[in-house]
Amino acid sequence: MAEFNVRSDSVNVEQIMEQLRARIREKRGVDYTEQQIRELAAVKLEKFLDPRGIRSDLLEQFRKAQPVYEPPELPNFAFEDATLFESHRAPIRWIRKLLLPILKLLFNPNPLIQALHIQARLNTMNAEREARREATRRQLDQLYYELIHNLVIETTRLGIEVKNLNMRLESVSSRLEFNERRARALESVVVYKPSGAEVERPSRQQPHHQQQAPPPRAQTPPQQTSYAAVTSATPPSEGGTAMTTPLGQASAGGRQQPQQGAEGPGQRSRRRRRRRGRRGGGSAAGIMGAPGAPSAADAAATTAGDAVSVSEAEAIDDFEGGDEDQPAPPAPAADAADARSESADTEQRPSTSSDRGGEPDGQ
Amino acid sequence: MKIAVVVQRYGQAVNGGAELHARYVAEHLARHSQIEVLTTCATDYVTWRNEREAGVEPVNGVPVRRFRVKHERDPRVFAKRSERVFEQRHSIGDELDWLDAEGPTSPALIDYIAKHAADFDYCLFFSYRYYHAYYGARAASGRAILVPTAERDATIGLSIFQPLFRSVRGVMYNSPEERAMINAVSGNDAVPGVVVGVGSNVPNNTQPARFRQKHNIRGPFAIYVGRVDRNKGCNELFDYFQEYLKDPAGRLSLVLIGHSLLEIPRHPRIRHLGFLDDADKFDAIAGAELLIMPSYYESLSMVALEAWALGRPVLANGKCDVLKGQCIRSNAGLYYDDGGEFIGTLEALEQNRWLAGSLGRNGRQFFREQYDWPVIERKYLEMFDRLKKEPPRLAADPLPGWFDRRRQDLRPAEEVLAALPTGPAGRQQPAAPKPAPADAAGRRRA
Repeated sequence: MAEFNVRSDSVNVEQIMEQLRARIREKRGVDYTEQQIRELAAVKLEKFLDPRGIRSDLLEQFRKAQPVYEPPELPNFAFEDATLFESHRAPIRWIRKLLLPILKLLFNPNPLIQALHIQARLNTMNAEREARREATRRQLDQLYYELIHNLVIETTRLGIEVKNLNMRLESVSSRLEFNERRARALESVVVYKPSGAEVERPSRQQPHHQQQAPPPRAQTPPQQTSYAAVTSATPPSEGGTAMTTPLGQASAGGRQQPQQGAEGPGQRSRRRRRRRGRRGGGSAAGIMGAPGAPSAADAAATTAGDAVSVSEAEAIDDFEGGDEDQPAPPAPAADAADARSESADTEQRPSTSSDRGGEPDGQ
Repeated sequence: MKIAVVVQRYGQAVNGGAELHARYVAEHLARHSQIEVLTTCATDYVTWRNEREAGVEPVNGVPVRRFRVKHERDPRVFAKRSERVFEQRHSIGDELDWLDAEGPTSPALIDYIAKHAADFDYCLFFSYRYYHAYYGARAASGRAILVPTAERDATIGLSIFQPLFRSVRGVMYNSPEERAMINAVSGNDAVPGVVVGVGSNVPNNTQPARFRQKHNIRGPFAIYVGRVDRNKGCNELFDYFQEYLKDPAGRLSLVLIGHSLLEIPRHPRIRHLGFLDDADKFDAIAGAELLIMPSYYESLSMVALEAWALGRPVLANGKCDVLKGQCIRSNAGLYYDDGGEFIGTLEALEQNRWLAGSLGRNGRQFFREQYDWPVIERKYLEMFDRLKKEPPRLAADPLPGWFDRRRQDLRPAEEVLAALPTGPAGRQQPAAPKPAPADAAGRRRA
């Protein structure tokens, strides 16, 4: 996300507002207006999220809500030649018939009769046509309703998919960032020099690893840190695998570990490697064939007597965002350097966090 | 030079924006001219009840002549006539009836102006929307200078005021946005006018710590000063601020100063202190991180100017063209259009102290350059000199006859208002279809 940033002494409010709005848009995803947001909030999406298919019972409900269409009985009349002179009283009918010639002397009623007859027919035809149109429109309404319903479902699904993709993108971004950090750490290579005991142990327990391992690097620069000395100084516990807990706490099995001296600079990275070994089928050094690297079995053996150390390492990992899915580093020397940089990270980050949350009150 | 200041209410205890504006101007111009204030006996802008004695009394050394109001306002009649002229086709007679219902109807004041206008060089009429300004400016048209204090509400769309804007000798605007709006609605570009505004008597030595101790306020806070009212956008402010409070990273509290007509949300970080005197008010503003101005309608926010004078940034409602324009021109405040922007800008001001400090410094400079009292006084005196050199304008058109007054051919005032250009001055859009706030229709400015 683009950070809101003002670096110039000359403040431009419009520019700041543009930056802020861009940031808000980015945060919110889409630049909805308040009205749109309220409308969206008012829609119950669950109603549309029918996983059983596009056709839900909403259409049925719509049909039930709308009664079957029956064409209304529009008022009409029938008009024939004698309609004007009809009467239910026979004498009146007779008188009208008698006086008809006189009436025809005064005006000609035939065009009137003819026009009203045509009008009656037109009325009937129009009523039938309207009924047909209304029925068709209602059918179309149902189709439109179904179409809109389907569109809403598809749109909702797409929205959810976009949201999922955004989340995945964020996840991938964080992993990428982690890998970039790791790559930077690998730039300064530190050669890992194993102790004699560590060389013997994997050779006894996993001979095939030793067969694949390349010969130890004899040309290790003397000025570089050798963690082997620290490792060899650690006395073995009952199982021969115990590591020292940083604060001399009890192990997970309830056995009191003898309190050792202060934690060496390479212990944390070794715990890390062992944990990776357990999870990934072997430590990076073992995979890469370093002679002194502990094997996966060795790492598993250490777990029983080193629960506190492992939990601490996991805590460190959790703090860093987790790297369980990350591949093991390609070389032991690189791993050592990585461990150093990560331990530095763990020391630096809390201070960053406290900086962020500890802004001065100003009052 | 003898100047009459004509205003609807006047007094030290009267704290309305235009009334305070008039008092400040009268007291400062009294150093350069002979000032007499002409006003009513009313102090309550809702009822216009006669609460002071008619006659002359000095207020802070300025003689004030009061006239009785003929009748109090009937809220039901006023509401009915407001609906008529704002929302329906109507006649000039309807608008004049509305003006009479709005008040303060004081024929005695108008008679006095008509008889004694010649005794004054100029008559300054404050607030175009009231009875005294409409009839008083007609009575003294050759000497009338209008200080409209116009806001962007439907009243500006009433047709009776358009000749008023065109017939006065000069217009003292509060902001470029107000000027643009009045020019657009009345076409009074030829009338001499200047954007002046008003200063404020901001103390030099504020004591924020004293305010905090007195009111037991701890931690950083944002402040709102003014009537806690729906018309001032306070309900929206409460909604937005409660949203902001949901973010655990935010540490600001909201302190409200002013009489409340709304229910204040109950939250430990929302404090309502009621009406405070000026010393407490300025101490509070000086101690605040920022001032929030949620109002939709302002002709010139004096509180915003006071905050700027004290070096505090302002967060204004972007829907109010004047406030937005002031923020942009001064580079001393941010603005918001919705809840997301409110929270974003509030967080930016809270977290980026450099930004808040820079905005505050700009505000202080803006106030000194534009709204310090020497600047304001100079602008008034220059306007008087300018008008003295120009020939007097023709008298205002006579009121329309009986038939013309009853011709129902005037558009609803809200339609006229909607057709006016919107936005800050210089960036105005022609008749933008800006959605009115929810309470706009019901808003009837007292």
